Amino acid sequence: MSTTRVVTHLVGVALLLLWGGVLLYFFISGRVAAYLPPDGIFRPMVLASGIGLLILGVFNLATMGSEDAGCGDHDCGHDHDHDHKHDHSGCGHDHSHDHAHDHAHKDGCCGHGEHDHKHDHSECGHDHSHDHDHSHGAHDHAHGILDESGPLGRTVAILILSVPLVLAAAMTPDRYSGAAVVNKGLYNQNYASTANADQFTLRKEGKPTAKVADAPPAPAAVALPPANVARVPGSAAPATASVATSNMGPGGPSPEKVADMVARDASKPAGKADAKSYGSFTLDDLKAQVPMSKDGNFILEVPELYYTAGDKEVQGVLSGQSVETTAQVMPEKVNNEDGKRLRILRMLVQCCAADARPYSVPVEFAEKAPTFKDMAWVKVTGIMGYKQEGGQLVPVIQAKEIKETTAPDNAMLY
Amino acid sequence: MDAQMHFLAALPEPSRFGDVLMAFLSIVFEGAPYILLGTILSGLIDAFLPAKFLERVLPKNKGLATIMAGFLGLIFPVCECAIVPVIRRLVQKGLPLGCAVTYMLAAPIVNPVVLVSTMTAFKEFQGLDTIATAAHPNGILGALADTAPMSLSRMFVGYIVAVLVGLVVMRFKPAQVLKEKIVESIEKGAIPVDGPVKRISFDSKLVHAMRTAMRDFLDTGMYFAIGVMITSVFNTQVNQAILDRVASNEFVALPSIMMLAMVLSLCSTSDAFIAAPMASFTFAAKLAFLVFGPMMDIKLLFMYSSVFKRRVVVALFLGLLLVIGLLVEPWAAMIEHLAKK
Repeated sequence: MSTTRVVTHLVGVALLLLWGGVLLYFFISGRVAAYLPPDGIFRPMVLASGIGLLILGVFNLATMGSEDAGCGDHDCGHDHDHDHKHDHSGCGHDHSHDHAHDHAHKDGCCGHGEHDHKHDHSECGHDHSHDHDHSHGAHDHAHGILDESGPLGRTVAILILSVPLVLAAAMTPDRYSGAAVVNKGLYNQNYASTANADQFTLRKEGKPTAKVADAPPAPAAVALPPANVARVPGSAAPATASVATSNMGPGGPSPEKVADMVARDASKPAGKADAKSYGSFTLDDLKAQVPMSKDGNFILEVPELYYTAGDKEVQGVLSGQSVETTAQVMPEKVNNEDGKRLRILRMLVQCCAADARPYSVPVEFAEKAPTFKDMAWVKVTGIMGYKQEGGQLVPVIQAKEIKETTAPDNAMLY
Repeated sequence: MDAQMHFLAALPEPSRFGDVLMAFLSIVFEGAPYILLGTILSGLIDAFLPAKFLERVLPKNKGLATIMAGFLGLIFPVCECAIVPVIRRLVQKGLPLGCAVTYMLAAPIVNPVVLVSTMTAFKEFQGLDTIATAAHPNGILGALADTAPMSLSRMFVGYIVAVLVGLVVMRFKPAQVLKEKIVESIEKGAIPVDGPVKRISFDSKLVHAMRTAMRDFLDTGMYFAIGVMITSVFNTQVNQAILDRVASNEFVALPSIMMLAMVLSLCSTSDAFIAAPMASFTFAAKLAFLVFGPMMDIKLLFMYSSVFKRRVVVALFLGLLLVIGLLVEPWAAMIEHLAKK
């Protein structure tokens, strides 16, 4: 091997070790938790490929001097002297240039043996005397960027392969700033979405959630909740919130029995802004499903609150209940002329942190909202309510208390 | 917990620059394992797959072979990061160009993993249990169009587009489409071997495979890194809500949602979860997002450049934009018609 080849080979090995090292470091330190979901194969794949890259690098280092079946030595592909011997005998000319391929490379594993081409041209030929001096690197099919570029290209390639990765690994904060969260749609929430609703529904697993739309329409049994319960928009009252609770005590989850929710919207098809009906859901269901704090607040995650906006019965039960949630806080930019609101959010990741999306709900205060550092972690308690705003039904927490807290173990939801 | 807090405190404060680094790393963590998988596969193919094997296995008719290649993703389900190095190698091993391109475009869509994730994101598992009993006037297709319109459309349109592009590419010579160094290696493979080939030891084949894998990883990795750098800037620094405003305009909605797929460079296994909640976009627009994204995005733009000539990559980009843009609206109308009871 020439010196350049040795250096290129070593640089290649070093880059593999670098990539493998970064992957392994983030896996072993546990920091990968900020980037990839715990279930599925994403995190194990980081471990496996980290080890794989190290093995690949070490293997190539150890076998640097060994014979490569593709072409014994990497120099071979580049300086063949082709000596073609053609035997043209056409059109009366008698040119006989002799091209004789005489490749110097050893037997290839890929079906290239020693080539010995004898062309027999018999077309109208001119006297051409080829003197091929190919210097192609094709005999082993694998000369990569590092092998084929000039010194400049090689340097650029090495920089691209190393600098961003090292920079990112050394300087990543492992969490997003408020700016990224805004860009990812913090203030553009679609509460009627059902994309991940299954994951965050308050309905018990296995409980039938079949749409009841096919059942014969029943009269909407509507009993608007007591006054302290967050207002249900007047315009859409019967359609959007079919609440059939009785004696719901002020501020507390006191009702003993809750009527079966058979109410459904029979008068008009559910529009974009409307919650849909998914069958019965009672306060008992809620209690069975959701843990409570010792102060009697239902402990819920922001996406769970978010998705209640799309489910009529759950909404009917949760409306007016005292809830508690831990989330990150940002200033509110929607419907907040009087400055009484904040927005709390959790980031939800599907496959990696790049596809993280904020799920957020507004928190409303009686007075001007307190200020926090962007993306600070807070624990909020308040009364759940729903408001028709900007063409959709928005879940709003009427704050009772908000205080700064420490980040949970998993900053992102998966 | 305490240790973790100290650890967090030692990390830099979040910033715009930090956001880019965060997105960059997360896509690297998600994609690099698959690139490694693809490149090791590519190395093994190079060292161990006999040169004429593919020619023997594939149908003689290239058009038929291309149509078949669209289903290869069902057998070898790989997402778009793993496919590029594999395709590069298969082309060198004599896989006809049309087949290669069709497999490359179809595999990240027509693929069981992607089918499940699309059905999950669009809530299309519900109703599947009753589908057998549902007497639909338009038969099984009608019933499917009713219960799982997006998954059905994504698979079908993805397949159709991949085969169409493959059939077009088939008409060109490899030298017109592929990068020079790739073409050279195909030509070498085509040279008949005179005399018996000496048997090569397993060890030296393995050495060859691993060296090839290393070079391929660095090759593909470099283009990947460029693509991910650009994508992570868009991913974190551009307000994606801008798109909501154009979504309502029928003519701007389609190109803009495909551009969104382009700049986000999501993995085909996760993009459905991003598309599903976009309430302001129509069914056709979401379909365009889900078909265009796995076939073309910023990271792929660069990764394709390691195989194809630059103008071919540009033509592929424009062609996909046009074909998918023209196809999704009539398709959505057809699905709606089929689903009607």
